[in-house]
Amino acid sequence: MAGFADTTTDPVRQTRTSAIAYPGTGDFSRADLVFTGVRHAGGSYEVRVFLNNPGATVDTGRDAGDGYAGRFHVFGHGGCFGDLGHCDVPGASDDPGDLRPPHQLTPLTTYLTVTGPLSRLLAGGTALATVTMLAVSLPPRRADRAPGLDLFVFDHIDLRIYRTPGATPP
Amino acid sequence: MGVRKEAGTLGAGDTAALQQAFARAYQIRDERGYAYFAGLHGLPLPSYCAHNTRLFLPWHRAYLYFFERALQDLVPAANLTWWDWTTGRSRTEGLPAAFRRSAARVNSNPLAAGPVPLSAEDLRRLRADPANRGALSAGPAPWTLRDPDDPAELPRAATIARALAAPTFDDLSTLLEGVHSSVHGWVGGAMTLISVAAYDPVFWAHHAMIDRIWSLWQNAGRGAPLPPELLGRPLPPFPVTVRDMLDPARLGYGYAVEVAG
Repeated sequence: MAGFADTTTDPVRQTRTSAIAYPGTGDFSRADLVFTGVRHAGGSYEVRVFLNNPGATVDTGRDAGDGYAGRFHVFGHGGCFGDLGHCDVPGASDDPGDLRPPHQLTPLTTYLTVTGPLSRLLAGGTALATVTMLAVSLPPRRADRAPGLDLFVFDHIDLRIYRTPGATPP
Repeated sequence: MGVRKEAGTLGAGDTAALQQAFARAYQIRDERGYAYFAGLHGLPLPSYCAHNTRLFLPWHRAYLYFFERALQDLVPAANLTWWDWTTGRSRTEGLPAAFRRSAARVNSNPLAAGPVPLSAEDLRRLRADPANRGALSAGPAPWTLRDPDDPAELPRAATIARALAAPTFDDLSTLLEGVHSSVHGWVGGAMTLISVAAYDPVFWAHHAMIDRIWSLWQNAGRGAPLPPELLGRPLPPFPVTVRDMLDPARLGYGYAVEVAG
């Protein structure tokens, strides 16, 4: 598991890269990149994910040759509309009598299935070394879309490999 | 039983009933009206929508159910419609014809934009952030705006097939919510912001598609049942629990691919 603080940022390309090493052989039935602690209080955004391509930019093609592994989207709240403190997320309660639902801005967990892209990478004899993330804003106007390092904040990223007996590898 | 049809296959009568129901709901400012239902999702506070939780699918099913019932109180023939963004038509033309602006200079299609009767203070806060520009039209009584992306960027059928193969409810919910978020971003305008998305009429057709996929997943019986600890969870402000939302047929609606006769 790699933490957000462990990522390296490229302010020119507006990307964030995490060192995730996986030298496996591709004998798995499913592989997910799991992101925990993802913030979603601001505007909506998409995150494009590249394997072994820390030089990716917003203009990099979304194809396998560029290490593109897929993208996921986060639906943002678009700001805070309450009074002071309204959007401060409290820590998780350990009080069994606290029946209140979690704060709406509680960071989320999501995943991107990368079974195919990772299998192809490994099949080519290359181990996974890095995962590069490029977040692009999805504001109301398309013309305002732009990559941004601060759009995508999370706690951890990890690669989860599944082997289901009897399942056909991709 | 109410039949929800795909937006691209609506007959003239279906579209007219839906348009009439929305137009009438826009005029009602109490808890039977459009502003009430749209506001439950975001502004005005409190916001009730369940996003990024395991309640995403059941909460929105309840949301559609109560809204559709309110529409049918106004126009009994009005049924929600689902926008299948994976069809060739959608991936070529984008938004369904029923939800596009009329050709006239002043739009006359109530499904192309919705009124946003928020307070001056809510509008001020929303507009104070330049990142929210383009969500609503100007003035004290704005309407929703859109800025749709390239139709080829809409989700593919293969993505839905992957969702339908999800082995668990949590898996399905997370994957579907991501797909759902991508379409919100695709439509642009108000739809990109949780706070005002539900004021756009296409919100309901989009969420009906999400609900339909959950329904298909349930019907296929491939996945594990919902986690038991979820079943008794309430879905405020609606007087129902997750358990009450499991069976569309019991709720009086279904999703039709083709309707003849």
